[in-house]
Amino acid sequence: MKDVLVVGSPNSGKTLLFNRLTGLKQKVANFPGVTVSTHAGIASFDPSLQLVDFPGVYSLHTISGEEEVAVRAFQQAIKTSEQTKSVLCVLDATRLEKGLFFALQVREACIAAGLPFVAACNMIDILDKHELTLDIDGLGRELGAPVIGLSAKSGYGIERLQEVLSSNNISAPAPDLKLLARDEGWERNRAEQLAHAYGPKGDLLLKSHSRLDDFFLHSVTGGAAFFVIMFSLFQAIFTWASPMMDAVESLLGWCAEVVVPFISNDIAADFVRDAIFGGVGAFLVFVPQIFVLTLVVGTLEDSGYLARAAVICHRPLNAFGLTGKSFVPMLSGVACAIPAIYAARTIESPRKRWLTYMAIPLMPCSARLPVYALLIAAFIPNETIAGGLLGLQGLAMFGIYLFGIVTALLVTAAISRVTPQEAQDAPFVLEMPPYRIPSWQSILRGAVERAGYFVKKAGPVIFWITMVIWFLGYFPNQGQDLSQSYLATVGRLIEPLFQPLGLDWKYGIAILASFVAREVFVGTLGTLYGIEDATENVVSLATRVQDSGMPLASGVALLVFFAVAAQCVSTLATLYREGGSAKLPLQLLVGYGLLSYALAWCAFALLS
Amino acid sequence: MDQKALSLWQLQRGDTALISRYSDAIAENYRRRLQELGFRPGAKVICTAAPSLGAPKLFRVDNAVYSLDKLVAREIYAESQA
Repeated sequence: MKDVLVVGSPNSGKTLLFNRLTGLKQKVANFPGVTVSTHAGIASFDPSLQLVDFPGVYSLHTISGEEEVAVRAFQQAIKTSEQTKSVLCVLDATRLEKGLFFALQVREACIAAGLPFVAACNMIDILDKHELTLDIDGLGRELGAPVIGLSAKSGYGIERLQEVLSSNNISAPAPDLKLLARDEGWERNRAEQLAHAYGPKGDLLLKSHSRLDDFFLHSVTGGAAFFVIMFSLFQAIFTWASPMMDAVESLLGWCAEVVVPFISNDIAADFVRDAIFGGVGAFLVFVPQIFVLTLVVGTLEDSGYLARAAVICHRPLNAFGLTGKSFVPMLSGVACAIPAIYAARTIESPRKRWLTYMAIPLMPCSARLPVYALLIAAFIPNETIAGGLLGLQGLAMFGIYLFGIVTALLVTAAISRVTPQEAQDAPFVLEMPPYRIPSWQSILRGAVERAGYFVKKAGPVIFWITMVIWFLGYFPNQGQDLSQSYLATVGRLIEPLFQPLGLDWKYGIAILASFVAREVFVGTLGTLYGIEDATENVVSLATRVQDSGMPLASGVALLVFFAVAAQCVSTLATLYREGGSAKLPLQLLVGYGLLSYALAWCAFALLS
Repeated sequence: MDQKALSLWQLQRGDTALISRYSDAIAENYRRRLQELGFRPGAKVICTAAPSLGAPKLFRVDNAVYSLDKLVAREIYAESQA
C-alpha cells in the first residue's frame, strides 16, 4: 500500500476532501485550524492507496512548535519516497494566491524528493456561482503538474481527481527554469503572478460579507449579537431538548415496566430496575441535551461567525491574560475539554496556550450538563418569565455556565499576573473565513455522532461503576435497608467531608465516583435512590432528589462544586500528553479540587 | 519616524494603503509569516472593518481578510492612498 499525503493551507477544505476520498468523517468546520493532528484512511476508490491528512499550515517556514511538528511530519513522510506515492495539495480557488504560495513550497519539496505533485483547486462551485472561472490548464502547464478543479462539498471533479491519484503515469514536476533567483519571498511573487494570470478575474469578497462584519463587529450590535447568540445557546439546551428528554424518559419507564416483570429472580429484577433503568437510564435521559448543544455549536462553527466572535473577544480576553484565539478552544470546551485542548494548538504563543489549558477544564463541558440539568430540574421550577420568552430553568443554566466561564477568566487573570511574561509574544493574526450558510446535513451528522460518542465513551464507565455501586448498596441485606449496606459503611467514613456542604453520605459516594467522569454522578445517584425506594416504580431522579429533602443551599453548593472541580480523568490525561509533563494536570486536580470545595462551602454558608 | 507613513492601526474602515515597511519591533519569524500571508512591502491593503473599543481591525490583502490587533498593526507602516 502506498501513501498520498494531503496538505494545504488552513480552511482550504482539505479535510472535507479527505473525508470524501476515504469515506471517513473527520471533523470539518468553517474556521482555520480544525485539523490539529495527522489522520490516515484507505482511499474508497482504490484500496491500494492510503490518504494521510496533515494539519493545515500557511507555510513550510514555521513560527510555532505545533507548526514545526506538522511540517516535520510532512518532511519526514516525503523523505520515505518508497512508501509515498504522491502529494496532493489542496488550494482554496476563491483565495488562489494564498493557496498557491503554499503549493509552490510543497511543489519545491516534491521536486527535491522526486515525488509526483497534484494540485486540487477546491470550492470551484463558489466560483461558478459568481460566474467566475479559473484557467486550470494554464495553471497545470505552469506548475508542470496535474491541477484539478473540484468541489469537495458537491463532489464535482472528484472522479477526475481519483483517476489522477490512482494513475501510475504521474511523475515529479520539473524544476521551474524561469525562476533562477530564489530570493526571500520568491514564492509570494510567483504566487501573485500565477494568480493574476490564471486565477478568477473578479472580486469574490462580497459586499454582503462586509455588511455582516459591520453588524457582527460593531461595538453595540456586535456585542448585543454575541450576547444573544450565547444566551440562546444555553436556552436551547433546555427548551429544544426538553421534548426529546421527556420522550427518552417515557421510553425508559415503559421498557422497565415491560421488562422487569419477566425477570423471575428477585435480585436480577432489582438489578435491572435499579442499576440499569435507574442508574444508566438516568444518564441516558440527558443525551438529547448533548445533541442540542453540539447542534448549536456546529451551526456557529459552520457559519463563519466563530472567527468574528474571536475578534470581539480578543480585547476582553487580553485583560485575563488570554487571546481572541483562546475563544474557539474555550467554546469547544463547552462540548468537551478533550477536543478543546487539541484546538488550543492553534495558539502560537506558548504562554497563552498554557493559560488556555488552565481555562478549559473550567468551561462547562457536556459531562457537567447531566449534573446541572438534574439539580436545576430538582430545585428550579419549570416556569417562564417575560411573557413566556425566558424559561427559569434555562436562565439558571445560563447562570451556572456563566459562573464556570467567569471562574476560568479570574483564574487565568490571577495566574497571568503572578507568572513572568514572555519577551515577545506571538502577534494576533487571524484569518477571517467567509460567511456561509451552514451545511445542515453535516451539522446534524456531527451532533448525532457526538451524542453517540458520548454514550459510547461514558456508557461503559457508568455501567461498571453502577454495577459496583449497586452491589455494595444492595448487599448484605438484599436491598432491604440501604443504610445497613456495605456502601453505607464506606459512605459514613467520608460523610464528615461533605457534611459542611449539607450533603449526606449518598452524595459523598456519588461525588467520589464522579472523579472518574462527572456524568457518573447521575448514574450513581440514580442507583442509590433506586435501591432505597423499595417500590416497583421507576421515578424520575429529579423527583427523588426533590423528595429527599436536600436543602437549596446544598443544591447550589453541589452546582458550584461541579462547576470548578477537575473531575475528568480523560481531560487530565490529554493535558499530560499535550504538555509532556504531569505537573499541570496534577496542579489542576489539586488546585481546582480545593477551590471547588472552598467555593461550595461559601455558597452553602451564604444560602443556609 | 517618517511623518507621512501611517501604521496599519491608523487606517479606518474603507481606507486603502500600500505597505511600505515593518518596524524592527516585530521578530523576524513573525515578520516573515506576515509577509507570507500577503502583508509584504508594496502590497495593497484595505481596512474592511475597524471595530471600536480597541478590538482588532480587519485588513484585506488579495482575496483574503485577516484580523490584526493593535500590537502588530501599529508595527506595519503603509502609505495611504486616496
